Amino acid sequence: MPFLKTIQWVVWKDLVCELRSRETISSMLFFALIVILVFSFSFSMDQDAARQLIAGIIWVAFAFTGIIGLGKSFSSELQNDCLEALQVSPIPKGAVYLGKVLANFLFILSVEILLFPLFILFFNLDVVAELGLLLLVFFLATLGLSSVGTLFSALTVQIRAREVMLPVLLLPLAVPVMIAAVEATRGILNGDPYSFYSQWIQLLVVFDIIFTVVSFWLFELILDS
Amino acid sequence: MIAIQATNLSKAYGFYRIFEDLSFDILAGECFALFGPNGAGKTTLLRILATLQQPSGGHFSIFGQNGVKEKELVRQSLMVIAHGSHLYEELTGFENLQFALALRGQTIDVKSLKHALDRVGIGAFADLKVRQYSAGMKKRLALAKVVIVKPKLLLLDEPYNALDEAGVTMTNLIIRQTLESEGAVLMTTHDHDKASQVATGGGILQSGKLQLITREQLT
Repeated sequence: MPFLKTIQWVVWKDLVCELRSRETISSMLFFALIVILVFSFSFSMDQDAARQLIAGIIWVAFAFTGIIGLGKSFSSELQNDCLEALQVSPIPKGAVYLGKVLANFLFILSVEILLFPLFILFFNLDVVAELGLLLLVFFLATLGLSSVGTLFSALTVQIRAREVMLPVLLLPLAVPVMIAAVEATRGILNGDPYSFYSQWIQLLVVFDIIFTVVSFWLFELILDS
Repeated sequence: MIAIQATNLSKAYGFYRIFEDLSFDILAGECFALFGPNGAGKTTLLRILATLQQPSGGHFSIFGQNGVKEKELVRQSLMVIAHGSHLYEELTGFENLQFALALRGQTIDVKSLKHALDRVGIGAFADLKVRQYSAGMKKRLALAKVVIVKPKLLLLDEPYNALDEAGVTMTNLIIRQTLESEGAVLMTTHDHDKASQVATGGGILQSGKLQLITREQLT
């Protein structure tokens, strides 16, 4: 019970701080908006061409927007040495990790949900029928990115070049998530039968489970070092 | 009962040795004031005892528990008030207190929280974001955590910084109450006069060595 309470408090703290400062969300939205505008003006596409390329464009925007949010997740704890308070607290550190993952997941997913209508608008997509499956892919890929990204955010927070090191370390590991997300999104937008891209959704589920469990166990070691 | 037992504690960053072979005991009911010039390693020693850093050599125990191998148990009995104050700028004073207690897995009683804030003199500012607090108010808010948690070991890094006279009196009162309840306090400070009001002993950390001093030598 205290474990779940701690998760709840960490999520509450991160959400309240972010909703009041709007620092991370606004930079994430601003960056993603620029990506959408640049791509939409770079490619003048009909709907068929859009369906072929849009999956990659969507996940480029989502991945880099997510990295902005993940980077701030632990760097915000440096102010007033709050990271020390997390380190020295006698609670299970896994609860802090899961709280952070959940908060990051909610931030990134909210931004994705806010941005996706802009993709529909700018790239003239017709996605009403596939919206449920698309949201499932967003959900799974964002969870994967958040679980591994939160760990690397904690790992890089104490180093000087953390803004550079986070994407350098995170992106190679997140490649399976990105590939699976792009392939599944493309399959859905193309209107392919579910069996054509179901293996990519399964890969996302497996990645989420493995990386959440491994990161959960590694987190205490990283926070203490 | 021995609150802190340090045996041959050493800390080095690469070839640079901060201190070497520090050995001292602090008993429950004692307040140890640690003096020394800037860069002597006072804060480093405090951070090691707080389990935030590993010693390069030697060992220490907090209330009989190994400070390196039993970190989680040690952390249950100690509380650190350091320069950074461990406060979130976007949360109110009241919310910061709530969160700090949640991080210790403690049940939160709103009345006790308000009482603690009143005790440290910032009850009227409980609903103000910490971003709007002065340095002294932040220090008081950090002390409110001590009022509620009542830790067995209190580690204070420069506790009198940024505090007015009333704040200093209140800090010393909280230290005395910790000692009365069989707790122990270790503080780093440059202020002999203020520390001597509560300290039962102390030491001067200089050139990597600790010279213990008696209560009489504090002033």
